[in-house]
Amino acid sequence: MIRFLVQRLGLSVIVLLGVSAIVFFALFLNGDPAALMLPPTASRAEIDAYRHAMGFDDPVLLQYFRYLAHAVTGDLGTSLRFGLPVTGLIAERLPATALLAVTALTWSTALGLALGVAAAVTRGTAWDLLVRLVALSGQAIPVFWLGLLLLLLFALRWRMLPTGGYGEARHLVLPAVALGAYYMSAVTRLVRVSLIEALGQDYVRTARAKGLSSSRVVLRHALRNALVPVVTVQAMQFASLLGGALVTEIIFAWPGIGRLAVQAIQNRDFPLVQAVVLLSACVFVAINLLTDIAYAVLNPRVRL
Amino acid sequence: MRLVPSLVTGMLAALLLAGGARAGELVIGRAASVGAMDPGFLREPATVVDNVFDTLVMRDAAMKLVPGLATAWKAIDDTTWEFTLRPDVTFHNGEKFTADAVKFSLERVLDPAAKSPTISYIRTIAGVDVVDPLTVRVRTNGPDPLLPTRMSRYPAYIVPPGYVKQVGPEQFARKPVGTGPYVVGEFVPDDHVTMKANAAYWRGKPAIDTVIWRAIPDATARVTALMTGEVGLIEAVPVELGKTLDDNPETSLLRVKNGGLIIYLGLKSGEKPLDDARVRQALSLAIDRKTIVAEVLRNNASLTGTQVGVFDFGYKDEPVPAYDPAKAKALLAEAGYPNGLSIKMQVPRRYINSADVGQVIAQEFAAIGVKAELEVPDWPVYAQMVPAGKQAPIYMLAWGSTQTLDADAAIYPIFRSGEPYSTYSNPEMDKLLDESRRTIDPAARAAVLARAQDLAATQVPALTLYQEDTLYGKRKSVEFKGRADARIPVFDIRIGN
Repeated sequence: MIRFLVQRLGLSVIVLLGVSAIVFFALFLNGDPAALMLPPTASRAEIDAYRHAMGFDDPVLLQYFRYLAHAVTGDLGTSLRFGLPVTGLIAERLPATALLAVTALTWSTALGLALGVAAAVTRGTAWDLLVRLVALSGQAIPVFWLGLLLLLLFALRWRMLPTGGYGEARHLVLPAVALGAYYMSAVTRLVRVSLIEALGQDYVRTARAKGLSSSRVVLRHALRNALVPVVTVQAMQFASLLGGALVTEIIFAWPGIGRLAVQAIQNRDFPLVQAVVLLSACVFVAINLLTDIAYAVLNPRVRL
Repeated sequence: MRLVPSLVTGMLAALLLAGGARAGELVIGRAASVGAMDPGFLREPATVVDNVFDTLVMRDAAMKLVPGLATAWKAIDDTTWEFTLRPDVTFHNGEKFTADAVKFSLERVLDPAAKSPTISYIRTIAGVDVVDPLTVRVRTNGPDPLLPTRMSRYPAYIVPPGYVKQVGPEQFARKPVGTGPYVVGEFVPDDHVTMKANAAYWRGKPAIDTVIWRAIPDATARVTALMTGEVGLIEAVPVELGKTLDDNPETSLLRVKNGGLIIYLGLKSGEKPLDDARVRQALSLAIDRKTIVAEVLRNNASLTGTQVGVFDFGYKDEPVPAYDPAKAKALLAEAGYPNGLSIKMQVPRRYINSADVGQVIAQEFAAIGVKAELEVPDWPVYAQMVPAGKQAPIYMLAWGSTQTLDADAAIYPIFRSGEPYSTYSNPEMDKLLDESRRTIDPAARAAVLARAQDLAATQVPALTLYQEDTLYGKRKSVEFKGRADARIPVFDIRIGN
């Protein structure tokens, strides 16, 4: 167990080092960072002075190690546009992103579970077909299209909800629906497939033979086993959502990490872009690690 | 679950949705958000802070320089300008506006240690001297005819020295204090800014009590918010949604002619084949600008023969470049390319229908035997390649004098050799541009700038295409005409019925 943990931790560090190197060197790929950070009217002399002041004229490797040294102390640099430490800016956005992610995943998991179970137990009927159709469309519809459609219907035509903003429950509805639609469909399909598989297992037959009620067999025996892959998938979805739901946050003007990242890219705010990417990678690696460990704890067949 | 009751209340509340332009309140939706509000250190357009701070010199609706915090100004000698300041002006916190504030505001931006990103806009200033509390002199490194213009825009907004020293730059950027018509209330960076009218404003109390600047990055969402009445005025309406706004009984599209940037195809004239003026002239003759503006841009742009805008000082009304493919072919043959040539061209999807414009031009080039290999690069990448000189030999860019409204900002950076965004080198052009920077007399300076534009018209350092309009959307009740310098002075806006 200890050996496994050390090994996994080591791999995680390597992954993060790789990500940090990519985000750092990407800054130098397309030209001169100093020229970019100044307005177009800046002269050569001003650009040179700025480059020197920012340390961009030092050897690139030296700059990278300096970046790493600061990063391990939690200093990921200062945003060019906001003039504030990037870690603070990201921390400010985290609640909005987390709220959206949790809401979207909660309703999508609940509804997806219900639909998935319903489809699995009525397998082959018209109801099953309908659920599968809904689930398939949910996964096929791109979020930018669904988001705009929701806006046109609920905000423009029916005037029921605002077009965007943050702070009240009514602001949360449309982005959460748009964002969760995909995950709802994914959960529905996953639950349906794994429940159908579980229902075919020997232990289900045994349970039925014992004379247990149908609902008890499905919900207590089969579903619990069918849920393992669902939990894994949703954990990974959550990890990716914490990095910000880029498209949804832009459409609904949601002040989360995704919008921060997109605007940082548009404004060429490199320290901020680097930090968002690096922190998203950290969340991913951490949740991956936790999932692996949870697997081993939950499932005795996985040996460490 | 608490979500269900809150959903219901949310929907109920939505039924009572507030209008974006009720009497006394205006909500403005912008594509860009506000990150920080220190006017000396902006990395974004000054649209919002322009309502909080004042400059010594201002521009009226016709773009004429008029007194602002200075009541008068004059050149004392070639390198000294004297400004007489307006008495009895106070900052929002009660601090008095004096010559010391002017000195402080300019010097903190000029301080190399402050690393101001906008220092280049006032780089000609050598020093600021306080003569008396209401008189200040600005010394320049050499003759600078543009100094009054520089004093009319960021970063030359006047800030309160006492307050800035007390709270420090970081806090000042979050809770700014100026002399302007509006006082900053709530500011959530990147989301919204709420402002209240400054009752003690020196030009009088503003008509609109509350202004809320909201960031709505998605264009469709921005237009939708205007149509629902959540906002009263929006910036950056995409061309294809303009008609929707005009067709709606409650909204209208506001088209500001000559309000946008001038779109051009930059030419790397330092290398073959574009080093030959005849090739550049041939390319220019191959483009049917009139048809492009009418058909591809649906008339959301104006034809022009110069990179200098109509409202800019020094503008010369050069004829729109002719469309003559036969002559273009002949010129190419004369330059030694009777069988045409192949060349790379980059056109980003950044400006109004720009990728389509690129397609059309590539076809028009093909008609004279120039095989243009068109690439549509991703903007953030392309924006890095251009100042580094890594772009294709033919590349689309937009340029303008923006808030300076002077020919210098429109052509110096793109035609003067050695400038980061210039790919042209001609000693004659350099001489004219440098001379314009030394000439104080307005008439003499306009003549020099006119000669520079004449030279550009014949030597074709770049293929000038057209000047974009800027498009705003507004509720019909909002009275706003738009400005060529893209400012939104809420002080001048009225809300009718």
